[in-house]
Amino acid sequence: MSVILIVEDDAFIRQIGEVMIQDCGHQTLSAGSVCEALAILRSSQPLDALFTDIYLESAMHGGCDLAIQARSLRPGLPVIYTSGNTLTEKMKSLFLGDAWFLPKPYTQTQLKNSVEGLLAA
Amino acid sequence: MPAERGVTDIAASDIVETVPSALIVLDRNLNITSANRAFYQTFRTSRAETEGCLIYDLGNRQWDIPALRTLLESVIPHRASVEGFEVEHVFPTIGRRTMLVNARKIFRPGDHDGYILLAIEDVSEERAARAESKRNWQLTQSIVDTIRDPLVVIEHDMTIVTASKAFLTMFGTTLAEAVGRKFSELGQHQWDVPALRHLMDKVLPENKPIESFEIEDNFPGLGRRVFNLNARKIFQSGNQVTRMLLVFEDITDRKQRERDAETLTNEVSHRIKNNLQIIIGLIAFESRSQAKPSVEGYRAMQGRIGAIAQLYDLISQTSRGDTVAVDDYLTEIARTMAASLLGEKSGIRIDVKAGPLKIDPDRAVPFGLLINELATNAVKHAFPRGKGRVLISVDQVGPEIELTVADDGVGMMDKTQAKTPEKRGADYVAIFVRQLGGAIVPVAAHGTGTTIRIRFPSLLVPQAGPEPLAA
Repeated sequence: MSVILIVEDDAFIRQIGEVMIQDCGHQTLSAGSVCEALAILRSSQPLDALFTDIYLESAMHGGCDLAIQARSLRPGLPVIYTSGNTLTEKMKSLFLGDAWFLPKPYTQTQLKNSVEGLLAA
Repeated sequence: MPAERGVTDIAASDIVETVPSALIVLDRNLNITSANRAFYQTFRTSRAETEGCLIYDLGNRQWDIPALRTLLESVIPHRASVEGFEVEHVFPTIGRRTMLVNARKIFRPGDHDGYILLAIEDVSEERAARAESKRNWQLTQSIVDTIRDPLVVIEHDMTIVTASKAFLTMFGTTLAEAVGRKFSELGQHQWDVPALRHLMDKVLPENKPIESFEIEDNFPGLGRRVFNLNARKIFQSGNQVTRMLLVFEDITDRKQRERDAETLTNEVSHRIKNNLQIIIGLIAFESRSQAKPSVEGYRAMQGRIGAIAQLYDLISQTSRGDTVAVDDYLTEIARTMAASLLGEKSGIRIDVKAGPLKIDPDRAVPFGLLINELATNAVKHAFPRGKGRVLISVDQVGPEIELTVADDGVGMMDKTQAKTPEKRGADYVAIFVRQLGGAIVPVAAHGTGTTIRIRFPSLLVPQAGPEPLAA
Protein backbone atom coordinates (compact mmCIF):
# COMPACT_ATOMS: atom_id res chain seq x y z
CA MET A 1 0.00 0.00 0.00
CA SER A 2 1.43 3.38 -1.05
CA VAL A 3 0.77 6.95 0.06
CA ILE A 4 -0.17 9.28 -2.79
CA LEU A 5 -0.31 13.07 -2.45
CA ILE A 6 -3.09 14.51 -4.61
CA VAL A 7 -2.88 18.20 -5.47
CA GLU A 8 -5.98 19.66 -7.14
CA ASP A 9 -7.59 23.06 -6.58
CA ASP A 10 -11.11 21.85 -7.46
CA ALA A 11 -12.43 20.34 -4.24
CA PHE A 12 -14.81 17.85 -5.83
CA ILE A 13 -12.31 16.57 -8.36
CA ARG A 14 -9.75 16.31 -5.57
CA GLN A 15 -12.19 14.22 -3.53
CA ILE A 16 -13.01 12.04 -6.55
CA GLY A 17 -9.32 11.43 -7.11
CA GLU A 18 -8.84 10.42 -3.48
CA VAL A 19 -11.76 7.99 -3.63
CA MET A 20 -10.54 6.47 -6.89
CA ILE A 21 -7.04 5.93 -5.54
CA GLN A 22 -8.28 4.64 -2.20
CA ASP A 23 -10.48 2.14 -4.06
CA CYS A 24 -7.27 0.86 -5.64
CA GLY A 25 -5.96 0.07 -2.20
CA HIS A 26 -3.70 3.05 -1.60
CA GLN A 27 -3.67 5.77 1.04
CA THR A 28 -4.03 9.40 0.09
CA LEU A 29 -3.13 12.88 1.29
CA SER A 30 -4.54 15.90 -0.46
CA ALA A 31 -3.81 19.58 -0.98
CA GLY A 32 -5.77 22.32 -2.74
CA SER A 33 -2.84 24.60 -3.47
CA VAL A 34 0.91 24.70 -3.96
CA CYS A 35 1.37 26.07 -0.44
CA GLU A 36 -0.64 23.28 1.16
CA ALA A 37 1.26 20.70 -0.88
CA LEU A 38 4.65 22.13 0.07
CA ALA A 39 3.69 22.03 3.73
CA ILE A 40 3.03 18.30 3.41
CA LEU A 41 6.18 17.74 1.35
CA ARG A 42 8.29 19.53 3.96
CA SER A 43 6.84 17.46 6.78
CA SER A 44 8.03 14.05 7.81
CA GLN A 45 4.92 12.44 6.35
CA PRO A 46 5.92 9.42 4.22
CA LEU A 47 4.98 9.79 0.55
CA ASP A 48 5.35 7.42 -2.37
CA ALA A 49 4.10 9.54 -5.27
CA LEU A 50 2.76 12.97 -6.23
CA PHE A 51 -0.34 13.31 -8.43
CA THR A 52 -0.79 16.97 -9.32
CA ASP A 53 -2.95 19.09 -11.59
CA ILE A 54 -0.89 21.45 -13.71
CA TYR A 55 -3.20 24.49 -13.59
CA LEU A 56 -3.46 25.43 -9.91
CA GLU A 57 -5.25 28.52 -8.60
CA SER A 58 -4.62 30.70 -11.71
CA ALA A 59 -0.98 29.58 -11.95
CA MET A 60 -0.96 28.13 -15.44
CA HIS A 61 1.96 25.81 -14.72
CA GLY A 62 1.72 25.74 -10.92
CA GLY A 63 1.81 21.95 -10.87
CA CYS A 64 5.04 21.91 -12.88
CA ASP A 65 6.70 24.30 -10.45
CA LEU A 66 5.40 22.24 -7.54
CA ALA A 67 6.82 19.03 -8.97
CA ILE A 68 10.27 20.57 -9.29
CA GLN A 69 10.16 21.74 -5.69
CA ALA A 70 8.78 18.39 -4.56
CA ARG A 71 11.66 16.57 -6.22
CA SER A 72 14.17 18.78 -4.45
CA LEU A 73 12.45 18.10 -1.10
CA ARG A 74 11.85 14.41 -1.78
CA PRO A 75 14.51 13.19 -4.22
CA GLY A 76 13.25 10.54 -6.58
CA LEU A 77 9.57 11.11 -5.75
CA PRO A 78 7.49 9.70 -8.64
CA VAL A 79 5.23 12.31 -10.24
CA ILE A 80 2.06 12.12 -12.35
CA TYR A 81 0.79 15.35 -13.92
CA THR A 82 -2.79 15.85 -15.00
CA SER A 83 -4.58 18.62 -16.86
CA GLY A 84 -7.78 19.52 -18.65
CA ASN A 85 -5.72 21.51 -21.16
CA THR A 86 -4.24 19.92 -24.22
CA LEU A 87 -0.64 18.96 -23.63
CA THR A 88 1.60 21.61 -25.21
CA GLU A 89 5.31 21.73 -25.93
CA LYS A 90 5.64 24.46 -23.32
CA MET A 91 4.11 22.17 -20.69
CA LYS A 92 6.30 19.26 -21.75
CA SER A 93 9.39 21.41 -21.45
CA LEU A 94 8.53 22.01 -17.76
CA PHE A 95 7.98 18.33 -16.92
CA LEU A 96 10.39 16.25 -14.90
CA GLY A 97 12.04 13.80 -17.28
CA ASP A 98 10.65 10.62 -15.74
CA ALA A 99 7.19 11.92 -14.85
CA TRP A 100 3.93 10.63 -16.33
CA PHE A 101 1.00 12.59 -17.73
CA LEU A 102 -2.66 11.58 -17.39
CA PRO A 103 -5.06 13.84 -19.30
CA LYS A 104 -8.45 14.77 -17.86
CA PRO A 105 -11.01 13.36 -17.76
CA TYR A 106 -9.49 10.10 -16.58
CA THR A 107 -11.43 7.04 -15.59
CA GLN A 108 -10.78 5.10 -12.43
CA THR A 109 -9.09 2.38 -14.46
CA GLN A 110 -6.81 4.87 -16.18
CA LEU A 111 -5.86 6.46 -12.86
CA LYS A 112 -5.22 3.06 -11.33
CA ASN A 113 -3.06 2.00 -14.28
CA SER A 114 -1.09 5.23 -14.11
CA VAL A 115 -0.46 5.16 -10.36
CA GLU A 116 0.46 1.50 -10.27
CA GLY A 117 2.49 1.72 -13.46
CA LEU A 118 4.45 4.66 -12.07
CA LEU A 119 5.05 3.00 -8.72
CA ALA A 120 6.25 -0.15 -10.42
CA ALA A 121 8.59 1.72 -12.78
CA MET B 1 54.61 84.45 -98.83
CA PRO B 2 52.26 83.80 -95.93
CA ALA B 3 53.92 83.26 -92.55
CA GLU B 4 54.08 79.64 -91.61
CA ARG B 5 51.67 78.77 -88.90
CA GLY B 6 53.48 77.94 -85.70
CA VAL B 7 53.07 74.57 -84.01
CA THR B 8 51.14 76.26 -81.22
CA ASP B 9 48.65 77.84 -83.67
CA ILE B 10 48.00 74.56 -85.46
CA ALA B 11 47.47 72.66 -82.23
CA ALA B 12 45.12 75.29 -80.81
CA SER B 13 42.87 75.41 -83.84
CA ASP B 14 42.71 71.64 -83.98
CA ILE B 15 41.74 71.56 -80.34
CA VAL B 16 39.11 74.26 -80.78
CA GLU B 17 37.50 72.41 -83.69
CA THR B 18 37.55 69.10 -81.85
CA VAL B 19 36.06 70.04 -78.48
CA PRO B 20 32.33 69.35 -78.21
CA SER B 21 31.58 72.60 -76.43
CA ALA B 22 30.55 75.59 -78.51
CA LEU B 23 33.34 78.22 -78.50
CA ILE B 24 33.27 81.81 -79.71
CA VAL B 25 35.84 84.58 -79.44
CA LEU B 26 34.74 88.20 -79.03
CA ASP B 27 36.84 91.30 -79.46
CA ARG B 28 36.75 94.22 -77.07
CA ASN B 29 33.69 95.54 -78.88
CA LEU B 30 31.90 92.19 -78.46
CA ASN B 31 32.06 91.39 -82.15
CA ILE B 32 32.52 87.74 -82.94
CA THR B 33 35.96 87.18 -84.42
CA SER B 34 35.67 83.39 -84.66
CA ALA B 35 33.59 80.41 -83.60
CA ASN B 36 34.08 76.67 -83.76
CA ARG B 37 32.17 73.97 -85.57
CA ALA B 38 30.33 72.95 -82.41
CA PHE B 39 28.91 76.49 -82.08
CA TYR B 40 27.65 76.50 -85.65
CA GLN B 41 26.04 73.07 -85.22
CA THR B 42 24.48 73.72 -81.82
CA PHE B 43 22.94 77.06 -82.72
CA ARG B 44 22.28 76.24 -86.37
CA THR B 45 24.23 79.08 -87.84
CA SER B 46 27.27 79.50 -90.11
CA ARG B 47 30.58 81.27 -90.29
CA ALA B 48 29.23 83.76 -92.79
CA GLU B 49 26.37 84.69 -90.46
CA THR B 50 28.60 84.79 -87.40
CA GLU B 51 32.09 86.25 -87.89
CA GLY B 52 32.30 89.99 -87.63
CA CYS B 53 28.82 90.21 -86.17
CA LEU B 54 28.04 91.89 -82.85
CA ILE B 55 27.07 89.06 -80.61
CA TYR B 56 23.76 90.63 -79.71
CA ASP B 57 22.88 90.95 -83.40
CA LEU B 58 23.60 87.30 -84.14
CA GLY B 59 20.66 85.35 -85.55
CA ASN B 60 18.04 88.12 -85.52
CA ARG B 61 19.16 89.32 -82.11
CA GLN B 62 18.40 86.01 -80.46
CA TRP B 63 21.59 86.47 -78.46
CA ASP B 64 20.46 89.75 -77.05
CA ILE B 65 19.91 88.12 -73.71
CA PRO B 66 19.87 90.26 -70.56
CA ALA B 67 21.85 87.67 -68.60
CA LEU B 68 24.50 87.54 -71.34
CA ARG B 69 24.72 91.32 -71.37
CA THR B 70 25.27 91.24 -67.63
CA LEU B 71 28.06 88.72 -68.06
CA LEU B 72 29.84 90.51 -70.88
CA GLU B 73 29.39 94.09 -69.75
CA SER B 74 29.31 93.95 -65.98
CA VAL B 75 31.12 90.82 -64.87
CA ILE B 76 33.90 90.17 -67.36
CA PRO B 77 35.34 93.69 -67.30
CA HIS B 78 36.21 93.14 -63.65
CA ARG B 79 37.24 89.51 -63.69
CA ALA B 80 39.68 87.43 -65.69
CA SER B 81 37.31 84.52 -65.95
CA VAL B 82 33.83 83.35 -65.05
CA GLU B 83 32.80 79.71 -64.61
CA GLY B 84 29.37 78.16 -64.87
CA PHE B 85 27.30 81.26 -65.68
CA GLU B 86 23.82 79.97 -66.43
CA VAL B 87 21.77 81.50 -69.22
CA GLU B 88 18.28 80.36 -70.07
CA HIS B 89 16.63 81.59 -73.22
CA VAL B 90 14.14 80.69 -75.91
CA PHE B 91 15.96 80.65 -79.23
CA PRO B 92 13.71 81.01 -82.26
CA THR B 93 15.63 78.33 -84.12
CA ILE B 94 16.17 75.75 -81.40
CA GLY B 95 13.64 76.55 -78.73
CA ARG B 96 14.20 76.92 -74.98
CA ARG B 97 17.77 76.21 -74.00
CA THR B 98 19.74 76.33 -70.77
CA MET B 99 23.38 77.15 -71.34
CA LEU B 100 26.32 77.07 -69.03
CA VAL B 101 28.81 79.74 -70.06
CA ASN B 102 32.46 79.88 -69.12
CA ALA B 103 34.15 83.13 -70.07
CA ARG B 104 37.84 84.01 -70.06
CA LYS B 105 39.83 87.01 -71.17
CA ILE B 106 42.65 86.05 -73.49
CA PHE B 107 45.56 88.21 -74.60
CA ARG B 108 47.98 87.77 -77.49
CA PRO B 109 51.54 89.07 -77.16
CA GLY B 110 51.55 92.80 -77.85
CA ASP B 111 47.77 92.96 -77.67
CA HIS B 112 46.52 95.36 -75.00
CA ASP B 113 42.76 95.01 -75.35
CA GLY B 114 42.47 91.30 -75.44
CA TYR B 115 39.62 89.05 -76.45
CA ILE B 116 36.88 87.17 -74.63
CA LEU B 117 36.67 83.43 -75.09
CA LEU B 118 33.22 82.04 -74.40
CA ALA B 119 32.69 78.31 -73.96
CA ILE B 120 28.99 77.54 -74.14
CA GLU B 121 27.67 74.18 -73.00
CA ASP B 122 24.09 73.30 -73.74
CA VAL B 123 22.83 71.69 -70.52
CA SER B 124 19.18 71.86 -71.53
CA GLU B 125 18.62 68.10 -71.51
CA GLU B 126 20.39 67.61 -68.23
CA ARG B 127 18.36 70.39 -66.61
CA ALA B 128 15.13 69.00 -68.05
CA ALA B 129 15.98 65.54 -66.78
CA ARG B 130 16.76 66.96 -63.35
CA ALA B 131 13.47 68.87 -63.29
CA GLU B 132 11.57 65.77 -64.44
CA SER B 133 13.30 63.70 -61.79
CA LYS B 134 12.35 66.26 -59.16
CA ARG B 135 8.74 66.25 -60.33
CA ASN B 136 8.69 62.44 -60.29
CA TRP B 137 10.17 62.41 -56.82
CA GLN B 138 7.60 64.86 -55.57
CA LEU B 139 4.86 62.77 -57.14
CA THR B 140 6.29 59.62 -55.59
CA GLN B 141 6.58 61.26 -52.21
CA SER B 142 2.97 62.42 -52.47
CA ILE B 143 1.87 58.89 -53.30
CA VAL B 144 3.97 57.47 -50.48
CA ASP B 145 2.47 59.95 -48.05
CA THR B 146 -1.07 58.90 -48.93
CA ILE B 147 -0.32 55.25 -48.11
CA ARG B 148 -1.70 54.53 -44.69
CA ASP B 149 0.90 51.90 -43.79
CA PRO B 150 4.29 53.10 -42.59
CA LEU B 151 6.72 52.82 -45.46
CA VAL B 152 10.44 53.46 -45.74
CA VAL B 153 12.97 53.29 -48.55
CA ILE B 154 16.50 52.37 -47.57
CA GLU B 155 19.84 52.08 -49.31
CA HIS B 156 21.76 48.82 -49.41
CA ASP B 157 23.66 49.92 -46.30
CA MET B 158 20.32 50.49 -44.50
CA THR B 159 20.50 54.28 -44.50
CA ILE B 160 17.11 55.86 -45.01
CA VAL B 161 16.35 57.53 -48.33
CA THR B 162 12.80 58.58 -47.59
CA ALA B 163 9.85 57.56 -45.47
CA SER B 164 6.12 58.09 -45.50
CA LYS B 165 4.36 60.42 -43.08
CA ALA B 166 2.80 57.40 -41.45
CA PHE B 167 6.25 55.96 -40.73
CA LEU B 168 7.57 59.25 -39.34
CA THR B 169 4.50 59.74 -37.19
CA MET B 170 4.62 56.22 -35.85
CA PHE B 171 8.24 56.47 -34.84
CA GLY B 172 8.02 60.07 -33.67
CA THR B 173 10.72 61.41 -35.95
CA THR B 174 10.97 63.81 -38.86
CA LEU B 175 12.15 63.25 -42.40
CA ALA B 176 15.14 65.49 -41.75
CA GLU B 177 16.10 63.41 -38.71
CA ALA B 178 15.54 60.10 -40.45
CA VAL B 179 17.13 60.63 -43.89
CA GLY B 180 20.71 59.48 -44.04
CA ARG B 181 20.52 57.59 -40.75
CA LYS B 182 20.90 53.88 -40.60
CA PHE B 183 17.69 51.99 -40.23
CA SER B 184 18.95 50.28 -37.14
CA GLU B 185 19.69 53.64 -35.45
CA LEU B 186 16.09 54.82 -35.51
CA GLY B 187 14.21 55.26 -32.29
CA GLN B 188 16.81 54.11 -29.78
CA HIS B 189 17.91 51.17 -31.88
CA GLN B 190 14.75 49.13 -31.49
CA TRP B 191 15.05 48.07 -35.12
CA ASP B 192 18.54 46.75 -34.55
CA VAL B 193 17.19 43.22 -34.34
CA PRO B 194 19.55 40.41 -35.33
CA ALA B 195 16.82 38.49 -37.11
CA LEU B 196 15.91 41.53 -39.22
CA ARG B 197 19.54 42.27 -40.04
CA HIS B 198 20.04 38.69 -41.11
CA LEU B 199 17.02 38.87 -43.44
CA MET B 200 18.25 42.15 -44.87
CA ASP B 201 21.59 40.52 -45.65
CA LYS B 202 19.79 37.69 -47.39
CA VAL B 203 17.46 39.83 -49.47
CA LEU B 204 20.11 41.86 -51.24
CA PRO B 205 22.32 39.03 -52.40
CA GLU B 206 19.51 36.60 -53.16
CA ASN B 207 17.14 39.04 -54.82
CA LYS B 208 14.14 37.61 -52.96
CA PRO B 209 11.48 39.75 -51.33
CA ILE B 210 10.65 39.38 -47.63
CA GLU B 211 7.04 38.42 -47.11
CA SER B 212 5.23 38.63 -43.80
CA PHE B 213 8.17 38.78 -41.44
CA GLU B 214 6.84 39.35 -37.93
CA ILE B 215 8.70 41.43 -35.44
CA GLU B 216 7.60 42.03 -31.87
CA ASP B 217 9.28 44.40 -29.44
CA ASN B 218 8.76 47.32 -27.10
CA PHE B 219 8.86 50.50 -29.19
CA PRO B 220 9.47 53.91 -27.59
CA GLY B 221 6.23 55.82 -27.42
CA LEU B 222 4.24 52.90 -28.82
CA GLY B 223 4.63 50.19 -26.25
CA ARG B 224 4.73 46.55 -27.16
CA ARG B 225 3.74 46.14 -30.80
CA VAL B 226 3.76 43.41 -33.40
CA PHE B 227 4.56 44.38 -36.99
CA ASN B 228 4.33 42.43 -40.19
CA LEU B 229 7.10 43.51 -42.58
CA ASN B 230 7.16 43.17 -46.33
CA ALA B 231 10.32 44.18 -48.17
CA ARG B 232 11.47 44.12 -51.73
CA LYS B 233 14.28 45.59 -53.82
CA ILE B 234 13.56 48.51 -56.07
CA PHE B 235 15.70 49.38 -59.03
CA GLN B 236 16.13 52.83 -60.51
CA SER B 237 16.36 52.73 -64.28
CA GLY B 238 19.33 54.43 -65.79
CA ASN B 239 21.72 53.67 -62.96
CA GLN B 240 22.81 50.78 -60.82
CA VAL B 241 21.19 52.02 -57.62
CA THR B 242 19.51 49.28 -55.65
CA ARG B 243 17.28 50.30 -52.81
CA MET B 244 14.80 48.50 -50.66
CA LEU B 245 11.21 49.30 -49.90
CA LEU B 246 9.84 48.21 -46.54
CA VAL B 247 6.18 48.34 -45.63
CA PHE B 248 5.07 47.84 -42.06
CA GLU B 249 1.69 46.56 -41.03
CA ASP B 250 0.75 46.95 -37.39
CA ILE B 251 -0.88 43.63 -36.52
CA THR B 252 -0.78 44.06 -32.76
CA ASP B 253 -4.54 44.12 -32.36
CA ARG B 254 -5.02 41.09 -34.61
CA LYS B 255 -2.33 39.17 -32.74
CA GLN B 256 -3.92 40.06 -29.44
CA ARG B 257 -7.30 38.85 -30.69
CA GLU B 258 -5.72 35.57 -31.83
CA ARG B 259 -4.03 35.12 -28.48
CA ASP B 260 -7.22 35.99 -26.62
CA ALA B 261 -9.16 33.50 -28.74
CA GLU B 262 -6.56 30.83 -28.07
CA THR B 263 -6.65 31.60 -24.35
CA LEU B 264 -10.44 31.47 -24.35
CA THR B 265 -10.43 28.18 -26.25
CA ASN B 266 -7.97 26.72 -23.78
CA GLU B 267 -10.04 27.93 -20.84
CA VAL B 268 -13.25 26.52 -22.28
CA SER B 269 -11.54 23.23 -23.04
CA HIS B 270 -10.13 23.15 -19.53
CA ARG B 271 -13.56 23.79 -17.98
CA ILE B 272 -15.27 21.22 -20.18
CA LYS B 273 -12.79 18.55 -19.28
CA ASN B 274 -13.00 19.37 -15.61
CA ASN B 275 -16.77 19.02 -15.88
CA LEU B 276 -16.41 15.70 -17.66
CA GLN B 277 -14.07 14.64 -14.86
CA ILE B 278 -16.84 15.51 -12.38
CA ILE B 279 -19.31 13.38 -14.36
CA ILE B 280 -16.91 10.47 -14.34
CA GLY B 281 -16.43 11.03 -10.63
CA LEU B 282 -20.18 10.91 -10.00
CA ILE B 283 -20.40 7.65 -11.89
CA ALA B 284 -17.42 6.34 -9.92
CA PHE B 285 -19.23 7.23 -6.66
CA GLU B 286 -22.42 5.61 -7.91
CA SER B 287 -20.67 2.45 -8.96
CA ARG B 288 -19.27 1.97 -5.43
CA SER B 289 -22.76 1.38 -4.08
CA GLN B 290 -24.15 -0.73 -6.90
CA ALA B 291 -24.35 -4.49 -7.33
CA LYS B 292 -21.43 -5.93 -9.22
CA PRO B 293 -23.18 -6.49 -12.57
CA SER B 294 -24.00 -2.77 -12.71
CA VAL B 295 -20.48 -1.80 -11.81
CA GLU B 296 -19.13 -2.99 -15.16
CA GLY B 297 -21.72 -0.89 -16.93
CA TYR B 298 -20.72 2.17 -14.97
CA ARG B 299 -17.09 1.48 -15.71
CA ALA B 300 -17.84 1.18 -19.39
CA MET B 301 -19.70 4.51 -19.20
CA GLN B 302 -16.66 6.14 -17.62
CA GLY B 303 -14.62 4.83 -20.53
CA ARG B 304 -16.97 6.31 -23.10
CA ILE B 305 -17.04 9.72 -21.43
CA GLY B 306 -13.27 9.66 -21.31
CA ALA B 307 -13.19 8.67 -24.98
CA ILE B 308 -15.30 11.71 -25.92
CA ALA B 309 -12.79 14.08 -24.35
CA GLN B 310 -9.87 12.32 -26.00
CA LEU B 311 -11.57 12.37 -29.36
CA TYR B 312 -12.01 16.15 -29.18
CA ASP B 313 -8.29 16.45 -28.50
CA LEU B 314 -7.48 14.16 -31.39
CA ILE B 315 -9.80 16.06 -33.70
CA SER B 316 -8.08 19.32 -32.91
CA GLN B 317 -4.69 17.68 -33.46
CA THR B 318 -5.54 16.02 -36.75
CA SER B 319 -7.95 18.47 -38.31
CA ARG B 320 -6.77 20.30 -41.41
CA GLY B 321 -9.09 23.21 -41.86
CA ASP B 322 -12.60 21.86 -42.41
CA THR B 323 -11.71 18.18 -42.49
CA VAL B 324 -10.21 15.51 -40.26
CA ALA B 325 -7.45 13.31 -41.64
CA VAL B 326 -8.62 9.71 -41.13
CA ASP B 327 -5.17 8.12 -41.11
CA ASP B 328 -3.82 10.43 -38.37
CA TYR B 329 -7.09 10.23 -36.42
CA LEU B 330 -7.12 6.44 -36.36
CA THR B 331 -3.45 6.27 -35.46
CA GLU B 332 -4.04 8.52 -32.46
CA ILE B 333 -7.15 6.57 -31.40
CA ALA B 334 -5.17 3.32 -31.54
CA ARG B 335 -2.31 4.84 -29.59
CA THR B 336 -4.61 6.23 -26.90
CA MET B 337 -6.51 2.96 -26.60
CA ALA B 338 -3.28 0.99 -26.30
CA ALA B 339 -2.08 3.37 -23.58
CA SER B 340 -5.28 3.04 -21.54
CA LEU B 341 -6.21 -0.61 -22.16
CA LEU B 342 -2.91 -2.37 -22.67
CA GLY B 343 0.18 -2.38 -20.55
CA GLU B 344 3.64 -2.06 -22.04
CA LYS B 345 4.13 -5.80 -21.82
CA SER B 346 0.75 -6.66 -23.33
CA GLY B 347 0.73 -9.31 -26.02
CA ILE B 348 -2.16 -7.59 -27.77
CA ARG B 349 -1.50 -5.15 -30.64
CA ILE B 350 -3.82 -2.57 -32.13
CA ASP B 351 -2.81 -1.76 -35.73
CA VAL B 352 -4.20 0.76 -38.19
CA LYS B 353 -4.45 0.72 -41.96
CA ALA B 354 -5.97 3.78 -43.62
CA GLY B 355 -5.41 5.86 -46.69
CA PRO B 356 -5.28 9.66 -46.87
CA LEU B 357 -9.03 10.07 -46.56
CA LYS B 358 -10.75 13.04 -44.97
CA ILE B 359 -13.98 13.10 -42.98
CA ASP B 360 -16.37 15.74 -41.77
CA PRO B 361 -15.32 16.95 -38.27
CA ASP B 362 -18.97 16.90 -37.13
CA ARG B 363 -19.03 13.14 -37.67
CA ALA B 364 -15.56 12.46 -36.34
CA VAL B 365 -16.68 12.00 -32.70
CA PRO B 366 -19.35 9.30 -33.29
CA PHE B 367 -16.97 7.70 -35.82
CA GLY B 368 -14.24 7.65 -33.20
CA LEU B 369 -16.62 6.34 -30.52
CA LEU B 370 -17.67 3.52 -32.84
CA ILE B 371 -14.06 2.50 -33.48
CA ASN B 372 -13.37 2.81 -29.74
CA GLU B 373 -16.33 0.54 -28.97
CA LEU B 374 -15.42 -2.13 -31.55
CA ALA B 375 -11.73 -2.21 -30.69
CA THR B 376 -12.40 -2.20 -26.93
CA ASN B 377 -14.77 -5.15 -27.34
CA ALA B 378 -12.12 -7.02 -29.28
CA VAL B 379 -9.39 -6.29 -26.73
CA LYS B 380 -11.60 -7.33 -23.81
CA HIS B 381 -13.16 -10.48 -25.24
CA ALA B 382 -11.14 -11.86 -28.13
CA PHE B 383 -7.89 -12.75 -26.40
CA PRO B 384 -8.34 -14.88 -23.27
CA ARG B 385 -4.66 -15.76 -23.47
CA GLY B 386 -3.69 -12.11 -23.67
CA LYS B 387 -2.13 -12.35 -27.11
CA GLY B 388 -3.42 -11.26 -30.49
CA ARG B 389 -3.93 -8.48 -32.97
CA VAL B 390 -6.72 -6.03 -33.66
CA LEU B 391 -6.61 -4.35 -37.06
CA ILE B 392 -8.61 -1.17 -37.66
CA SER B 393 -8.78 -0.32 -41.36
CA VAL B 394 -10.63 2.28 -43.39
CA ASP B 395 -10.90 2.15 -47.17
CA GLN B 396 -12.78 4.08 -49.79
CA VAL B 397 -15.22 1.96 -51.79
CA GLY B 398 -16.68 4.12 -54.51
CA PRO B 399 -18.36 7.09 -52.83
CA GLU B 400 -18.56 5.31 -49.48
CA ILE B 401 -16.01 4.52 -46.85
CA GLU B 402 -15.72 1.13 -45.27
CA LEU B 403 -14.59 0.59 -41.70
CA THR B 404 -13.31 -2.85 -40.76
CA VAL B 405 -12.30 -3.92 -37.26
CA ALA B 406 -10.90 -7.43 -37.31
CA ASP B 407 -9.18 -9.53 -34.70
CA ASP B 408 -7.48 -12.91 -34.76
CA GLY B 409 -8.94 -13.98 -31.44
CA VAL B 410 -11.40 -16.60 -30.32
CA GLY B 411 -14.37 -15.37 -32.34
CA MET B 412 -17.89 -14.29 -31.35
CA MET B 413 -19.66 -16.22 -28.57
CA ASP B 414 -23.09 -17.92 -28.87
CA LYS B 415 -25.74 -15.39 -29.76
CA THR B 416 -28.32 -17.08 -27.54
CA GLN B 417 -26.47 -16.07 -24.39
CA ALA B 418 -28.25 -13.42 -22.35
CA LYS B 419 -26.85 -9.98 -22.76
CA THR B 420 -24.41 -9.05 -20.08
CA PRO B 421 -23.35 -5.48 -19.53
CA GLU B 422 -20.31 -6.17 -21.72
CA LYS B 423 -22.58 -7.30 -24.53
CA ARG B 424 -24.46 -4.01 -24.35
CA GLY B 425 -21.42 -2.63 -26.09
CA ALA B 426 -22.87 -4.11 -29.26
CA ASP B 427 -25.97 -1.97 -28.74
CA TYR B 428 -23.76 1.09 -28.69
CA VAL B 429 -22.22 -0.05 -31.98
CA ALA B 430 -25.68 -0.17 -33.53
CA ILE B 431 -26.46 3.30 -32.12
CA PHE B 432 -23.32 4.86 -33.60
CA VAL B 433 -23.77 3.07 -36.96
CA ARG B 434 -27.32 4.39 -37.17
CA GLN B 435 -26.17 7.86 -36.13
CA LEU B 436 -23.69 7.88 -39.01
CA GLY B 437 -26.15 6.51 -41.55
CA GLY B 438 -24.12 3.36 -42.05
CA ALA B 439 -24.88 -0.31 -42.47
CA ILE B 440 -23.14 -3.41 -41.19
CA VAL B 441 -21.88 -5.56 -44.06
CA PRO B 442 -22.09 -9.29 -43.56
CA VAL B 443 -18.68 -10.95 -43.56
CA ALA B 444 -18.19 -14.64 -44.25
CA ALA B 445 -16.61 -16.51 -41.40
CA HIS B 446 -12.96 -17.37 -41.97
CA GLY B 447 -11.44 -19.49 -39.29
CA THR B 448 -10.89 -17.84 -35.94
CA GLY B 449 -11.32 -14.23 -35.11
CA THR B 450 -14.05 -11.69 -35.65
CA THR B 451 -14.46 -9.17 -38.42
CA ILE B 452 -16.96 -6.32 -38.25
CA ARG B 453 -17.37 -4.35 -41.48
CA ILE B 454 -19.47 -1.24 -41.80
CA ARG B 455 -20.09 1.00 -44.82
CA PHE B 456 -20.88 4.69 -44.54
CA PRO B 457 -22.16 6.90 -47.30
CA SER B 458 -21.32 10.62 -47.26
CA LEU B 459 -18.87 10.38 -44.39
CA LEU B 460 -16.14 11.91 -46.46
CA VAL B 461 -15.35 15.59 -47.04
CA PRO B 462 -18.48 17.72 -46.54
CA GLN B 463 -20.94 18.00 -49.44
CA ALA B 464 -20.86 21.19 -51.51
CA GLY B 465 -23.07 24.04 -50.26
CA PRO B 466 -26.36 25.15 -51.88
CA GLU B 467 -26.25 26.27 -55.52
CA PRO B 468 -25.73 30.03 -55.94
CA LEU B 469 -28.76 32.05 -56.92
CA ALA B 470 -29.16 32.61 -60.62
CA ALA B 471 -28.05 36.06 -61.73
